[in-house]
Amino acid sequence: MLKLDISIPKEGRQRVWWIWIGVLGLLLAVGLFGAIRVLVKGLQVTGLSDQVPWGLWITQDLSSIATGAGAFTFSAIVYLFRIKKYRPIARAAVFVGFLGYSSAMLSLAMDIGRPDRFWHPLVFWNVHSVLWEITWCVILYSTVLILEFLPILFENSYFDRWPKLRVYGGMIHKAAPIFAGIGLGLSLLHQSSLGATYGVLSGRAIWYKPSLPVMFILSAVAGGISMTLLLTVLVSKLTGRQIITEELRSDISRLAGFALLAYLYLKLWDWAATSYYSHSPGATQALALLQTTTPYTRTFWWIEIVIGGILPALILFTDRFRKNDRYLLFALAAIVVGVTVNRWNVTLSGLVAPPHWSPGVLGRIISAPYLPTWNEIIVSLGIIAYALLTFSFGVRYLPIFPRKDEPSH
Amino acid sequence: MIFKKKRPAKQKPAGKKPLVSRKEFLGIAGATGAAALVTQLITTGPLSPEAIKGIGERTHGAEDGKSKHKWSMAIDLSSCIGCQYCVWTCQATNDVPDDDMRWNIGFPEKTETGSDFFMTRPCLHCEEAPCVKVCPVGATWIRADGIVAMDYNRCIGCRYCEVACPYDVRRFNWKPSTAKNNYQPTWGSPEIERRARGVVEKCTFCNQRIDRGIEFGLTPGIDREATPACVNICPVNARVFGDLNDPESPISIFLAENDTFRLREDFGTEPKVHYVRPEKENA
Ligand code: SF4
Ligand code: SF4
Repeated sequence: MLKLDISIPKEGRQRVWWIWIGVLGLLLAVGLFGAIRVLVKGLQVTGLSDQVPWGLWITQDLSSIATGAGAFTFSAIVYLFRIKKYRPIARAAVFVGFLGYSSAMLSLAMDIGRPDRFWHPLVFWNVHSVLWEITWCVILYSTVLILEFLPILFENSYFDRWPKLRVYGGMIHKAAPIFAGIGLGLSLLHQSSLGATYGVLSGRAIWYKPSLPVMFILSAVAGGISMTLLLTVLVSKLTGRQIITEELRSDISRLAGFALLAYLYLKLWDWAATSYYSHSPGATQALALLQTTTPYTRTFWWIEIVIGGILPALILFTDRFRKNDRYLLFALAAIVVGVTVNRWNVTLSGLVAPPHWSPGVLGRIISAPYLPTWNEIIVSLGIIAYALLTFSFGVRYLPIFPRKDEPSH
Repeated sequence: MIFKKKRPAKQKPAGKKPLVSRKEFLGIAGATGAAALVTQLITTGPLSPEAIKGIGERTHGAEDGKSKHKWSMAIDLSSCIGCQYCVWTCQATNDVPDDDMRWNIGFPEKTETGSDFFMTRPCLHCEEAPCVKVCPVGATWIRADGIVAMDYNRCIGCRYCEVACPYDVRRFNWKPSTAKNNYQPTWGSPEIERRARGVVEKCTFCNQRIDRGIEFGLTPGIDREATPACVNICPVNARVFGDLNDPESPISIFLAENDTFRLREDFGTEPKVHYVRPEKENA
């Protein structure tokens, strides 16, 4: 069993902490500048166009929500299916979930052309729109996440002055199974609907398939579990304290592995049924275009399938590798990267290979390339910095992780 | 919204009954607030019967009850000479100064047998429009008369409709539209306001003309004032417009006499713009 020793020595901790916070703070400031520039100048500062109207920020939105899926997964496991052994990681999952969803909302706020009208979906309803349903689910589910998180927040000593709050916190905590149930329902709905966002569009052959919603939710479960465990293991290694037992860690990794396998299995059949055993002119044409004009065919096979799928599956299902810190961290990170790249590929592939609608042979297929501009990138980094910063403060000041072996801070 | 509703309720009982315990008080406040909120929601808010009815009407295409019209257009690619007048007059009439934002696009094309033709394309006003289905706020909807309309004051600029339209029709206002419109006054004068930054726009079948024309008792497709600008300007009458529900309308007659097709019918969008092939059979 190989142990990775990256724990920061006690004396240096304060310094490393401040450097880390400083770097993140800087990124956040740069991102804020970028966000203001977007608000002032409008979306012309992005690399987006009418042919590729969605890009980096939509990818970030989809990936944050996917990697935040650990929250509903673990809440359901612990409070609905009552598998108590996973309890020590449930809080971290809720926290990571909250950060994922708030990041997603930040990137969406940047992406819409009229952020001042963000509330419109709440007042003006179009029940036929998956995006409308997603907006509602995401808002409701974020509320559930905040409620689930409040009791953890109230445990901070700052709230000593309002003892009543803890009582309410306790009440919320007692209602955990209810929240877990609601959260499970909402998550199943919107995580799948995010795939349906693309899956229902009959005009785009690569997207138009019923498997997309299911692949989205399966990959979200795998990505969400991995993200939660990845952060937990990292914190444990950096602070040199054991947060969850070896056994639990191993169980959770296997859980991530099973979710990943289910996802890969569906992906295999999705590919086989649409590209191998059958032929659809639209999809074939679009895939050919992708292969010749973009790197997305390669990133699909190498990053989504090999690095983000097969390799981590092998690691997570081999006892020797799974118990090795380095391999485990690699596998978890690879799953997260694989899911993120998947969201990018799904979004971009349908857009850069538009359908052919002209009755002529030249068509008007403008396979518009898309690369994010520096402004888009700094905003994205800023949002990531926000999530990491909040995570770091949370880990430091809130009882996110059980502290058995470290009685006082 | 929730907090706004709760606050006043919270203060009132606190002033009158100072002896109430904090827990009771919060409970009362919460219950009052929640009750007020729910009442508001189901009486005048988004859950009220009117609001729900309104949603159904807008998204199902019966905005103003029923219409006896169904507007439709035909474009004869075999007689089009590629002059681009329709493209330019659209830019002048609907005030679209930017060539990249054209509502009615035109470009040179080639048939399978190698002969040249000119392809033009307005919004097809699909009967099963994907853009309408996906809009999260119902900012684009299909009117009872079949026109796929846009509400620029409601659009949040999410661009899902752009992603959903398979015909590359929709255009987003990436920047404020301030440029001088060089197509005016030669090709027409602006009839509608320019759109704000951050919303999506597209061809409307010049519904401002149709709506006003009908008010004045004109017949769109026959009376020029009530007919889309692109149809009027065509020097060879390659564009035909009218009411599908009226068997005597120019469009009904044209569709009966010509062999027409629609763009990518396999998408299931049921477009209301019909085309005649660039090369007629045995021509
Ligand atoms: S052509 Fe495009 S924009 Fe026009 S109605 Fe059809 S889907 Fe909507
Ligand atoms: S961009 Fe506007 S019209 Fe289009 S789907 Fe979004 S809100 Fe609706």
